[in-house]
Amino acid sequence: MDLAARLGRLQLLVVTGKGGVGKTAAAASLGRLLAAAGRRVLVLEVDPRENVHQMLAVSPSGGAIVRAGTRLWVQNLKPGQVLDDIVRERLKVEMLARRVLASPIYEQFSAGAPGLKELAILGHALRLLRRVGPPDAPQLDLVVLDAPATGHGVRLLAAPRLVSEVIGDGPFGALAGELAGFVADPERCGIVVVTQAEEMPVEEALELREALASQLGRQPELLIVNGLFPPLPAGLERPEIFDPVDPLLPPAPPPASAELPLEPELLTFWRHRRFLQERELERLAHWWEGPRVELPLLALERGPALTEALQQLLAAGLASGAAGAAGAARAAGSAGAAGTAPGAGVAAAEHA
Amino acid sequence: MSLVSDEHPLVIFVGAGGVGKTTLAAAMGVVSARAGRDTLVMTFDPSLRLKDALGVGQDAKEHAVRVDLEAAGELHASLLDARRTFDRLIERYAPDEAARRRVLGNRFYQHLSGSLGGILEYMAVERLFEVAADGRYRQVVLDTPPTRQALDFLEAPARIVGFLDSGALRVALRPWFDESGRLKATARLGGLGRRAERFLDEVVGLDLLRDMAEFFQAFSPLYAGFRERASQVEALLRSPKTLFVLVAGPGEERIADTLFFARRLQQAGYRLGPIVVNRVHPEPEERAPAPPATGLVDGLQLLTWLGERDRRGLVQLAQLLSEAQPLVDLPLRPEEPTDLPSLGDLGAELEDRLGDWSRRLRREGRADAGGSG
Repeated sequence: MDLAARLGRLQLLVVTGKGGVGKTAAAASLGRLLAAAGRRVLVLEVDPRENVHQMLAVSPSGGAIVRAGTRLWVQNLKPGQVLDDIVRERLKVEMLARRVLASPIYEQFSAGAPGLKELAILGHALRLLRRVGPPDAPQLDLVVLDAPATGHGVRLLAAPRLVSEVIGDGPFGALAGELAGFVADPERCGIVVVTQAEEMPVEEALELREALASQLGRQPELLIVNGLFPPLPAGLERPEIFDPVDPLLPPAPPPASAELPLEPELLTFWRHRRFLQERELERLAHWWEGPRVELPLLALERGPALTEALQQLLAAGLASGAAGAAGAARAAGSAGAAGTAPGAGVAAAEHA
Repeated sequence: MSLVSDEHPLVIFVGAGGVGKTTLAAAMGVVSARAGRDTLVMTFDPSLRLKDALGVGQDAKEHAVRVDLEAAGELHASLLDARRTFDRLIERYAPDEAARRRVLGNRFYQHLSGSLGGILEYMAVERLFEVAADGRYRQVVLDTPPTRQALDFLEAPARIVGFLDSGALRVALRPWFDESGRLKATARLGGLGRRAERFLDEVVGLDLLRDMAEFFQAFSPLYAGFRERASQVEALLRSPKTLFVLVAGPGEERIADTLFFARRLQQAGYRLGPIVVNRVHPEPEERAPAPPATGLVDGLQLLTWLGERDRRGLVQLAQLLSEAQPLVDLPLRPEEPTDLPSLGDLGAELEDRLGDWSRRLRREGRADAGGSG
């Protein structure tokens, strides 16, 4: 099935990965892509420092739901605020609500109770989807959650089950149970892992995959490998300059003739970067079962232009995945000198 | 200025995730040991190859291991693991075996280490205090946890003390439940308070409250020792001898982050040392044409664009900082240093850049060149 269509049928898409790999950019461009495909999408960010708005050229959300395009909204969520809202909603008497909010038990509890913050985030998404949240919230089909970094991402998704196991009773326990069912349902909730082709991010992506399988029995819908250098043009690759054991042996001098204007230092960098990235791509090809989209590093500053460019590349990658084009990944990021290649490709599951 | 100095027996590397803190901390460790100083590097999450280079495995979570480095001083390394540290603390402060087992076996405790506002980060600092107190090392270098809020761990001791002192603990320590496991009436709070508390119970769920209450009751014999340690850790972090090195990524888009960290460190009263802009792309020899709207370019144009972007970032950052603020940059290397010789080279380069910075400042006639030079 078309991957984009499959993602679009979900209600919650959790985008996670190690810090600094481009998670926010991926979440914003996925949001745009799915909105363009006709879904009503909210990109939900949970970070005290707002970033998503910048990727979609709107003003900071400040906690509110802000319109960012046709069928597209963004929100920066403060989990504490969600809990406070629930208290206010349930306690209609303002004085009583204030009393609860000011109580040291509530304060420590809301900051410290295991799983509460995670529950608040997921619960907020669910409430919006069911239109039981704030009355002025837009009708939504899908929430794209720009989730905390990897370790925390698993914690986020595992929280409902942990909490519902610990707490059987009360509305809190009931919410946890409901959310656990939601997260476990591959028809409603999907997971997108973002990484870069570098050792630590790949390591974390593989660990995350393992943790999702063992703790939740879930598989990610998609892996996005971000920030790839383009492959070297034929003739300049000269992979033999790298010793297979130690790629850091001194590189051979640049070839005598080449079509590109040669800056030897830059060429060395390009080769090294691409070589190291290919090593990690091979590791992923071997260990990562399931769809992958590879995205090139783009010469664009963070901002709407980057989001738009990534959206196009993602769309192309997801579509080629639909065609089952295994091995298209090799062409990923092949901007080449001509710059005509789509630059993204999907490697279909080799072991699926 | 120099990081290898008895003026700063403790150097802490901070910065956003993925900027190279761990590698730089290890690099500084090598340089310090080469200068004849017994040095300990405490690190969180090194790459596999960096672990290999340092020779640290699981045992480094229990105690510092000696790194196989031929140098005038010894280099040791340890891995920080929040859960192990917390368990050890409880083992140390628990008055008897029963108390220890009660805490370790509590369900709330088992889910707690990752959740209770920064306790993970706190545990790192706690372990640091252990080694700082024993006086074995002339230099301790601390890498910091890969949190998105990279400075969270600094506030952790104060937060833990606050938590231990807060009404929440006293409330939790008050027996909440009668013999039959039902909530006791909270008559002293008055009608409104009772309703508020009942509401909390309802939202939170009784089982969790019971676990929390049990945990804090089990924890109370440990409280005095724990609280004192947290205060001492706080004092250690704020000591003027503790120097913070802020590591930043290159490029204009990182400037806001860098300034944010720098300001927060200074406002909170920590001693901010140099800002190190790490992994700066090489300076291009010629200007690149503007990239197309798609951003898709070949590798040489990409590197040229990145080089220009990083250069602009450095200039802007320098303009935004006071001239007395040490600011150095380190070039991106084709591959991250992961063996001892290349770590040594990186550390030496960092020292060189810091020396250059001091000389430049002196040449420009500033009185204070930032320390020992």
